[in-house]
Amino acid sequence: MARYFAIRIGRAMITIALVVTFAFVVLRLSGDPALIIMGPEAPPEVIAAFRKAWGLDDPIWMQYFDYFGAIAKGELGRSMRDGRPAIALVLERIPATLTLTIPALLLKLAIGIPGGIFAALHRGSLIDRAVMIGAVAGFTVPSFVLGLVLVLIFAVQLGWLPSGGQETWRHAILPVFTLGIGGAAVLARFTRSAMLEVLGQSYIRTASAKGVSWRAVVLSHALPNAAIPTVTIIGFMVGTLIAGAVVVESVFSWPGVGRLLVVAVANRDLAVVQCILLLVAATMVTSNLIVDFLYGFLDPRLRSREAAGAH
Amino acid sequence: MTAPLVSVDRLVRIYRMRTGMFGRPRGVCAVDGVTFSINRGETLGLVGESGSGKSTTGRLVLGLENSDAGSVAFNGSRLPAMDTPEWRASRARMQMIFQDPLGALDRRLPIAAQVREPLDIHAVEDEAFRTARVQELMRSVRLSDDVGQRYPHELSGGQRQRAVLARALATKPDFLVCDEPVSALDVSIQAQVVNLLIDLQAELDLTMLFISHDLRVVRQISERVAVMYLGRVVELGNADDLFVSPQHPYTQALVSASPAPGRRRGERIVLSGDPPNPAAKPSGCAFHPRCPSAFARCRAEAPALVEVAPDRSVACHLTGLESPAAVALGAVA
Amino acid sequence: MADLSLPGSTAAKRTISWPRIPPVVAVAILWVVAMLVVAILAEAIAPYGVTKMDLRNRLSAPGNAAHWLGTDELGRDVLSRLIFSIRISFLIAFGATAISAIVGTLLGFLAAHFRGLAEQAVLMLADFQASMPFLILALAVLAFFGSSLPLLIGLMGLYGWERYARIARGLAVSATGQGYASAVRQLGAAPSRIYLRHILPNIASTLIVSMTLVFPEVILLESGLSFLGLGVQPPMTSLGNMVGYGREYIGSAPWIMLTPAAIITLTTLAVSLIGDWLRDKLDPTLA
Repeated sequence: MARYFAIRIGRAMITIALVVTFAFVVLRLSGDPALIIMGPEAPPEVIAAFRKAWGLDDPIWMQYFDYFGAIAKGELGRSMRDGRPAIALVLERIPATLTLTIPALLLKLAIGIPGGIFAALHRGSLIDRAVMIGAVAGFTVPSFVLGLVLVLIFAVQLGWLPSGGQETWRHAILPVFTLGIGGAAVLARFTRSAMLEVLGQSYIRTASAKGVSWRAVVLSHALPNAAIPTVTIIGFMVGTLIAGAVVVESVFSWPGVGRLLVVAVANRDLAVVQCILLLVAATMVTSNLIVDFLYGFLDPRLRSREAAGAH
Repeated sequence: MTAPLVSVDRLVRIYRMRTGMFGRPRGVCAVDGVTFSINRGETLGLVGESGSGKSTTGRLVLGLENSDAGSVAFNGSRLPAMDTPEWRASRARMQMIFQDPLGALDRRLPIAAQVREPLDIHAVEDEAFRTARVQELMRSVRLSDDVGQRYPHELSGGQRQRAVLARALATKPDFLVCDEPVSALDVSIQAQVVNLLIDLQAELDLTMLFISHDLRVVRQISERVAVMYLGRVVELGNADDLFVSPQHPYTQALVSASPAPGRRRGERIVLSGDPPNPAAKPSGCAFHPRCPSAFARCRAEAPALVEVAPDRSVACHLTGLESPAAVALGAVA
Repeated sequence: MADLSLPGSTAAKRTISWPRIPPVVAVAILWVVAMLVVAILAEAIAPYGVTKMDLRNRLSAPGNAAHWLGTDELGRDVLSRLIFSIRISFLIAFGATAISAIVGTLLGFLAAHFRGLAEQAVLMLADFQASMPFLILALAVLAFFGSSLPLLIGLMGLYGWERYARIARGLAVSATGQGYASAVRQLGAAPSRIYLRHILPNIASTLIVSMTLVFPEVILLESGLSFLGLGVQPPMTSLGNMVGYGREYIGSAPWIMLTPAAIITLTTLAVSLIGDWLRDKLDPTLA
């Protein structure tokens, strides 16, 4: 068990290291980092000080380590637009994003999982077909199209809901719904196939042949086993709590991290971009680790396999 | 007497396995000091149970795996290192046929294309020559021409094995290793394929190493036989003599277990103990836990393969001892 | 010697028998073919140039004779822009799918052939790619490098390579283990011959199924980026672009936004359906 976790943590650290390396490489490849981050109008002394502070005259491998060190200390540069530290900008936007993504996640779970389970249990029925069509639609309709169509219907034509901005709670309805529906579709499809696979296993037939009520079979055999792969995808969704609303925030002019990222990319405000990139990586890695930990407890095969010493 | 075509000297092959990513590496010795030689035009049969290391030996002899110690000489010179251009070129001189012909064939290509492949690989002559040669090969393994257009899954087991044989013989190799080539075939087909091999050997002056666990087949095709147990050769000699009067206790048990006309029931030697497991090799003579004649020395010291008669070598502490009394006294000879 | 051939095996069996195609999939195939035709024949079909402005007819509704799908805020013909957008989006999607398939398969083969450190490195990169949301990585690259078309295709070409790499590596490892690939190696074939002539054709169907799954995702990704203004840049037009521009006129002239949106959705749907059907037919083991 300990080895299982050690491996997972090792992998997580490698992923973070890779992301930092990625940022470093991209940063270096695209030109002089001092000019890029400070901006072309910065006075020469500022640029020189920046180069010194970031060791840009040192050999490249030393810069690499310095970069790591800077990241670890939280020095992620300043936004070009207003000179404030990038971290501060990003952090202050997080609540706005979470206001959308957390309810959306709940919506996904509330619709997707029951929908998928129901469809699997009543395979071939009308509900199953409806769920499958909904799932396919959710996957093929891009989020911005869905959002704009909803705006068209509910804001423009019907006038019930506002089309953008963050003033009242009603402004959050359409964005949450847009986010939630797409994810619900994916989750429904996934849950359905996980359930179907589990239901097709012989131990299910054995249990019901033994006379266990169908309900008990589902609750105590099918669901727990289908839960295991489903946890992975939920983990991924949790990991994207910060990053998952980029497009939707732009559609609805919602001032969250996603919108900040898009604006920063358009303005080539690299410090902000870099900061968001690292933040997203940290979030993803953490949620993957949590999923891995949960797996270790949930899946008895992992527990006993480790005990037997196999890999 | 001319030098042997293939000469194997104290070959060793240890498989290193690791238990998991952080486990301690262990070594499993599959081949533990094997020595023999094969003369030109002769067939050496290699007999043993699973776990004896015979398949590994076959691969080592062809240079398909690197040995950890010892050497293999082909036609007087050492084999080139694996996967070098010289090694690839040497494939034209030595080939192998396998237990599972279906696995050895590409399911997407028709048979004729696969039989032709060695000629393409080694750039033999020209297009017309290769086409003619393929036809010649198909005929020599007694496959009708239309079989060439079929796919491997459309053929029977015997036909597939003959196709693999045709492919192996495409470049007129001097040496052929057959690793359990008939074990997966029906008994009646086995006889056909074995007879085919014998005929081809005479026609083409092939030297063969025939690996099998089936004594009857080995006896039919081999001039000389080597018996392996847990990575070592325990007996080596002329095939007919060896089967008529085996010297090593293991060989005796093997021979008694295989049915032969005229032998009475009740003479079977049944071995006790666990089947051979290369990962848990006993000390001294690897056979001693199961040997009905084992004594103290057998556990302590592994016997060397010594020549006890012209064209017969045995690795056993019993041979060379004068009398059963000496054995009973546990004397160290 | 008796002829041991199996009864009934004739050469006639080798002809490809077209499987029965469900009607939905048939429609999907027709749609994709239609889109391809449009993309290829764009210049011939489009009534106007992409940038040609008809300022007197700005924001005209669809259904009039001069502009079948109406015009946008600059008087540009929506239909023409749509046609060229289809071409650009398809170009990017095909290019990206091809690049990622080639890169992924190559890396997978390298990992399978060399094992050891190379394999670990490839697997680690694959894990990394699978764990980060691609949109974020893409945005970061676009921020640093800008959005030229070759860069965009190259960037999209990094999407999904890890799927091909895993498949190629897995199948190559099992092929070289005990199968036909090791037999051919034993015949003296050089590794390039083994991979190109034997392994690749045998795994082609699985790779193709993966490509049909990746292709719609690339379209969605690219149109998302273009919608945000960070993908295809003017004067070139793409489906996502059009949706982005059309957004401001969502109240007054919704067709500017709806027509490209519909194309995106329908094309993605069509290719996904084809991909699902192909997967059921060719390789049910892919989940």
